[in-house]
Amino acid sequence: MATWQLVQYLVTGITVGSIYAIVGLGFTIIYSVTGIINFAQGEFVMLGGMIAFSLIGLGFPMPVALILAVVLVTLVGIIFNLVAIRPAGRASTITLIIITIGGALFIRAVAGLYWGRDAVALPPFTGDESLSFLGAYILPQSLWVIGITAVLMVGVYLLLNRTLVGKALKAAAINRRAAALVGIDARMMSLVSFALAAATGAVAGVVIAPLSYASYDMGIMLGLKGFVAAAMGGFTGVWGVFLGGLGLGLAESLAAGYISSSYKNAIALIFLFAVLLIRSRRLMVGEEGA
Amino acid sequence: MADILQMKGLTKAFGGVIAVNELDLEIHEGEIIAIIGPNGAGKTTLFNLIAGVFSPTRGQIFFHGQDLAGTNDYQRARMGIARTFQDVRLFGNMSVLDNVMVGLHSRSKYGMLSAAFRLPQGHREEASIRLTAINTLNLVGLGQRADINASELTFGQQKLVSIARALATKPRVIMLDEPAAGSNVLETQEISDLAKRILEMGITVILVEHDMRFVMGTAERVVVLDSGEKLAEGTPSQVQNDRRVITAYLGEQEDQI
Amino acid sequence: MPHFIRGRGKMLAIATLVVLLSIVPLLGNNYYTSVLLIIGIHAIVTVGLCLLMGYTGQVSLGHAAFYGIGAYIAAILSKTYHVDPWLAMVVAIIATAAFAFAIGFPVFRLRGNYLAMATLGLGIIIWILFRELDWITGGQSGFLDIPTLSIGGFAFDSDFRFYYLVWGFCLAVMFISQNIVGSRMGRAMRAIRDSESASQSLGINATLVKVKILALSAAYAALAGSLYAYYVGFIDPPPFGFLFSIRLVVMAVVGGLASIWGAIFGAASVRLLTEFLHPFGDIDVVLFGLIIVVVMILSPQGVIRGLGDLWRRISRRLTPS
Repeated sequence: MATWQLVQYLVTGITVGSIYAIVGLGFTIIYSVTGIINFAQGEFVMLGGMIAFSLIGLGFPMPVALILAVVLVTLVGIIFNLVAIRPAGRASTITLIIITIGGALFIRAVAGLYWGRDAVALPPFTGDESLSFLGAYILPQSLWVIGITAVLMVGVYLLLNRTLVGKALKAAAINRRAAALVGIDARMMSLVSFALAAATGAVAGVVIAPLSYASYDMGIMLGLKGFVAAAMGGFTGVWGVFLGGLGLGLAESLAAGYISSSYKNAIALIFLFAVLLIRSRRLMVGEEGA
Repeated sequence: MADILQMKGLTKAFGGVIAVNELDLEIHEGEIIAIIGPNGAGKTTLFNLIAGVFSPTRGQIFFHGQDLAGTNDYQRARMGIARTFQDVRLFGNMSVLDNVMVGLHSRSKYGMLSAAFRLPQGHREEASIRLTAINTLNLVGLGQRADINASELTFGQQKLVSIARALATKPRVIMLDEPAAGSNVLETQEISDLAKRILEMGITVILVEHDMRFVMGTAERVVVLDSGEKLAEGTPSQVQNDRRVITAYLGEQEDQI
Repeated sequence: MPHFIRGRGKMLAIATLVVLLSIVPLLGNNYYTSVLLIIGIHAIVTVGLCLLMGYTGQVSLGHAAFYGIGAYIAAILSKTYHVDPWLAMVVAIIATAAFAFAIGFPVFRLRGNYLAMATLGLGIIIWILFRELDWITGGQSGFLDIPTLSIGGFAFDSDFRFYYLVWGFCLAVMFISQNIVGSRMGRAMRAIRDSESASQSLGINATLVKVKILALSAAYAALAGSLYAYYVGFIDPPPFGFLFSIRLVVMAVVGGLASIWGAIFGAASVRLLTEFLHPFGDIDVVLFGLIIVVVMILSPQGVIRGLGDLWRRISRRLTPS
């Protein structure tokens, strides 16, 4: 077994794993603040990639297009929270699941109508000449993905731990009622969490689109894998989901390399069931009902 | 008098917090016993242990001399251990009567097949379930409200329905978790009378309650818990005059009343 | 009086349904007949989902898998192994229910969001299997020439004949479901939905009830799936994927999650919307997304109930008190 091959798989694994980590971060932020699993999280990622593609097509310079795409998707997240989540109030878990699924379905179908069914590719941020490393080829875009993920993780960590907004978010996450008593508006925190999750999702979308094509239907699998990363991290904190994402990415890439690439998605699903069953043991004594 | 329940060295720890600590306690068959103690004394945890919601960290619980280890909550309900909840937990989208009829689930047996094809066995059982449920509802004085939605009742009435629901399981022992909380003086008296009527039906009653006047007027025996340990045990007047109890609990409670 | 025809409204609805069902095929238009036939098949799956989600409070985002398993078992047994189609259908139903029963125990250790994700994942795994096990399922190129059902010499080989078969099954499933909901089992289901811990404290084995209902709804889905396979004569993976699972949720939500007869309304609305909007591409899916968000916010009990409440409120405002 050649070393370069292993290195190649590791690089691929870390790259896609970074993306899963960012998607998972979105799940974690919303879940810890509101208790909602946002089934539309993967759609934010898809929108990021597709909108960036369109903006570049309209002639915007690359950096402007990327930033604008993130801003627009953040707006989508805010609107989604205002029109679909806020009016539901304190609804049951089933109701909220169905609402976020409705949102996902809507976003996905609109994207399918607007962009069509074909996958699109973004140009890489800085050239596509691969670098050689221990005999493996690394695309510069991979470095961008890994670098931006690292910056994003540190950024969100600092935001949560060093800023007033972050502290309010964390307070709302720990105890919603107590947070309300000290004047933290739970509805505002819910809005902020959706905005933040949409923004991070969009970042994932724009950085991965140059490597693996973007298409209207990419949201579901990316969402599922992001959820696995978040669940592995236990839905708390930034570092757990980061490790969860990397673990999933590496497992997937190694399995695809050494076993067969048609089992790539199966790996994520096996991880899903493993992590759910482990968590279910803790959930057994969990709180009431659905 | 025979013991219906026995706790031996019963201990429950949540992580590092010990909620119930090395508790030895006997509940006699045919008594009304009250478990009192300050908040966090482990009263509700004790109920959850007896009901099989939690399994103990150490120690045993015997029901009619039989070790309950390895049985879970619904099995214990079928064995004759019933309970109510502090936060009531009625089935809010069902009628009052349906709530009580659910209590008769384990005392009836017609299955999905008889239900699906409306076989005679189902009809017969359903008629007797309904009759028993109405009778049980009358027992708590809510027969008139059978057909309204459970969530439309007042909090006090909801508590009564939850007692009726538990009684419908035909228990040998019933655990009432703060039955008088949030009730006015009149309602409190009614619940006290109801507890005595339940006892007359041959059902042992265990109460957790904060209202000391209610406890003193209802229970024959009182157990005081503090930090998960048994602090004192005896008749209401013995406990009331116990110095440790007065310092640990009643003194503080007296101010609140 | 039997439970299912209590109340004039319900009787009226059933009468209308019967009249509609008997008139439409007599018009002799195959298109209408086939649309209504598909609605019947979908309604069978939807009722099962309503029992599980609306009455028992347990989410399934992978119900299309059961529909697909039923279709594939019936198709493979009757075509590849020359089993009598009726027998193949019975085997498909029993096997699918048994499969659901077996996976139910680990799956129902999960609740709420986690349950939703697990069922979503299960649905995707099974869909991948339909695609990848191509030596038995035909994979992406599909499974052809499935025989059709017949009794003696009478073959259900026209839309007209198959139509009555499907709706016969559909109405039977409706009555059975209505009876179960009104029974001891139905009370246990609703009790679990409203408070699982309280239901267990009354001696109900909540996991077992959930597993039984999952198996029943899987049996319904398998019945519908095998009817679909026999009707179309050809199956391939796409109709059994994640999107159909979500479409089933839409049907259940529109009809009212906790409503048996609403399932027909839900299945009909979704199908008709798709048929009307067919010329405009996937715009129906956009609407489905919107519809379930709006219904869940404004009237979680379904469109019919919501309109009824609205009507009552308007008429109350119009009548001077």
